[in-house]
Amino acid sequence: MTEELALSATGLVKKFGGRRVVDGVDIAVPKGVIYGVLGPNGAGKTTTLRMLLGIIEPDGGQRTLLGFDRPRQASDRVGYLPEERGLYPAMKAAEAVAFMGALRGLDWRTGRKRAREMLADAGMADAADEKIRKLSKGMAQLVQLLGSVMHRPELLVLDEPFSGLDPVNQEKLEKLILAERDRGATILFSTHVMAHAERLCDRLTIIAHGKRQFEGTVADARGMLPLQVHYVPHHPGAGLRALLPGDAEAEGDGWRFTMPGEGIETLLSRLIEAGHGISGLSIERPSLHDAFVRIVGRDALEDAA
Amino acid sequence: MKRSVRQTLTIARRDFIATVFTPTFLIFLLAPLIMASFGAIGGLGAATMADSSADRSRIVAIVPADRAAAVATVDATLRTVFRQPEAPPELRIDTPAADPAAQARALFDARDVEASAVLYGPLDRPTILYGAQGERTADYMAELAEQALRAERTGGATLSHATKTQMTRETTSVSGQHQAAFFTVFAIFLLTVLLAGQAVGTMAEERSNKVIEVLAAAVPLESVFLGKLIGMFGVAMVFIAFWGTIAAQIGTVLPAEIVQAFRDVGPAVGFPIFVPLFFAYFTMAYMLLGAVFLGVGAQASTIREIQMLSLPITILQVAMFGWASAAASNPDSWVARAAEIFPLSSPFAMAAHAANAPELWPHALALAWQLLWVSIVIWLSAGWFRRGVLQSGGGKRGWKTLFQRA
Repeated sequence: MTEELALSATGLVKKFGGRRVVDGVDIAVPKGVIYGVLGPNGAGKTTTLRMLLGIIEPDGGQRTLLGFDRPRQASDRVGYLPEERGLYPAMKAAEAVAFMGALRGLDWRTGRKRAREMLADAGMADAADEKIRKLSKGMAQLVQLLGSVMHRPELLVLDEPFSGLDPVNQEKLEKLILAERDRGATILFSTHVMAHAERLCDRLTIIAHGKRQFEGTVADARGMLPLQVHYVPHHPGAGLRALLPGDAEAEGDGWRFTMPGEGIETLLSRLIEAGHGISGLSIERPSLHDAFVRIVGRDALEDAA
Repeated sequence: MKRSVRQTLTIARRDFIATVFTPTFLIFLLAPLIMASFGAIGGLGAATMADSSADRSRIVAIVPADRAAAVATVDATLRTVFRQPEAPPELRIDTPAADPAAQARALFDARDVEASAVLYGPLDRPTILYGAQGERTADYMAELAEQALRAERTGGATLSHATKTQMTRETTSVSGQHQAAFFTVFAIFLLTVLLAGQAVGTMAEERSNKVIEVLAAAVPLESVFLGKLIGMFGVAMVFIAFWGTIAAQIGTVLPAEIVQAFRDVGPAVGFPIFVPLFFAYFTMAYMLLGAVFLGVGAQASTIREIQMLSLPITILQVAMFGWASAAASNPDSWVARAAEIFPLSSPFAMAAHAANAPELWPHALALAWQLLWVSIVIWLSAGWFRRGVLQSGGGKRGWKTLFQRA
């Protein structure tokens, strides 16, 4: 097996009690990218990640992790932050980080030294000798994140890494993810918050109902929806609605509608000729959130809620 | 170092440190002292009660004054045969009243004396009355009358002159080996009851703290289980080293007569081989029972569930002890063979085997057999945990991961 892809899977299936929670998911993560796994709650994101890492065995399908068919064989080259954060409460912060490194093959001496350096870099030097139980939730989460990268993994898998973090720590985490990518690591993270994915991801997969619904770049996803036009007339009046496209909807003082297939110029000419004029005009690209809603469907989002 | 070994030792190190470097470990370490203190207090109370009762307890001989001295002399001679706890109550000699039968009966209701047995009437046809549990005392009084009459008729001359020579054996006796076998089984049982049961709750920490997900992603579950067992075994070793040192020091100051009493007790294979064998079988007993308890305990998700498991765990240990004790007493029976083969009783029974029989080859076979079962139990426990708790469908190669090259 080659190592062109950091991680790949085809036809992954997982059944819990006869229900297929992951139903034939394909995924291919190139090396050196930030890759997002998006989906509503209960879509099967975590189960997919756990199968990719070898924590649980799939009921069907194939997977390859850093060139190995058996994910365990590459475990020392992988970092993982699980969705449910877990640390020993009686361990000191520096010891906890070093312990996680030791699990991944880093010797204790190097681990302890590096743990203190990393905690200091993260502004937590004073907390290095504090027990985990005395740290705030956000600090403990940061400790676990540092533990998952302290052995400098080639592949970093983060399951819902932003959940439970305040905006300051979310920004810290985004910077850390970008720094890891710049170091050469591949980052795979799951989220259902589109803003993070939109800012960070080079590529992404959208999963819903256990199936892959989309794979591509953020631009590809947004490109699935047409541009939106927001038009504010200078002289609104009778006859304006008839000139606008059929999907136009009133929004504040203006109207919102999909960019016409032939472009905006013809429509604007007609509106000016009819005396409505132009008080405001903006052409907007749809957000990843819009694309996500379109791809996943309102039903899936309501099911997840 | 192989990756799986390194990962196993990382888990073991964490568990060892997390257990030993806590204040509660001190309580655990001193638990036998607390247990012994309670035992001593209880024993002291029981002994005081027994002494106060013994102070008033008497055997009474109602004999004419001219025979009193002879009876007392014979009593003093006969008592030398008994060890102190087995000796009959102190002798009191009363002079006969007008109605000796009534006098004798009245002694059982007297407040100043607690009559265990009372003898009255002529020595060649004495009547002996005795109270509850006084049958042996009554037999003693009959023998007292017999010997008093013999002494009277022979004029006190000794009829038999024995020559007594103490002998020492070159080897331990069969009964001494049986005793050594039983002590061995009991010692391993006591240590595993105190120590192996601790394994039952160790996975609960990882489950409640959600650390299991971090461990399961980085380390094969078989290594997690084995690491936890080794960590707890390290804790057990600290416990044994502490109390073993104290016991050894106490052994050096024991009175010579106590040491003499155990001269005949020893293992058939000899002490230099028996000591490492004992340690090996204790290790296997700990690992086997610990692996079973760890595997069962890993399924429990609450403290209450773990507490509920304590009783069946103790019953299992007592059952293995009982079975192995029977094997120790009957080393050539089918019960012994079965106990030596059944994995969970095998370490106990084979340790007893080392005390009872000098051959060494069965021990190599038994240790390999037990080690195989440690691996099997860990593999099954990890698989059970993987399927039941992590809800994973696979884990087909389980035990192989222990020996897999990094």
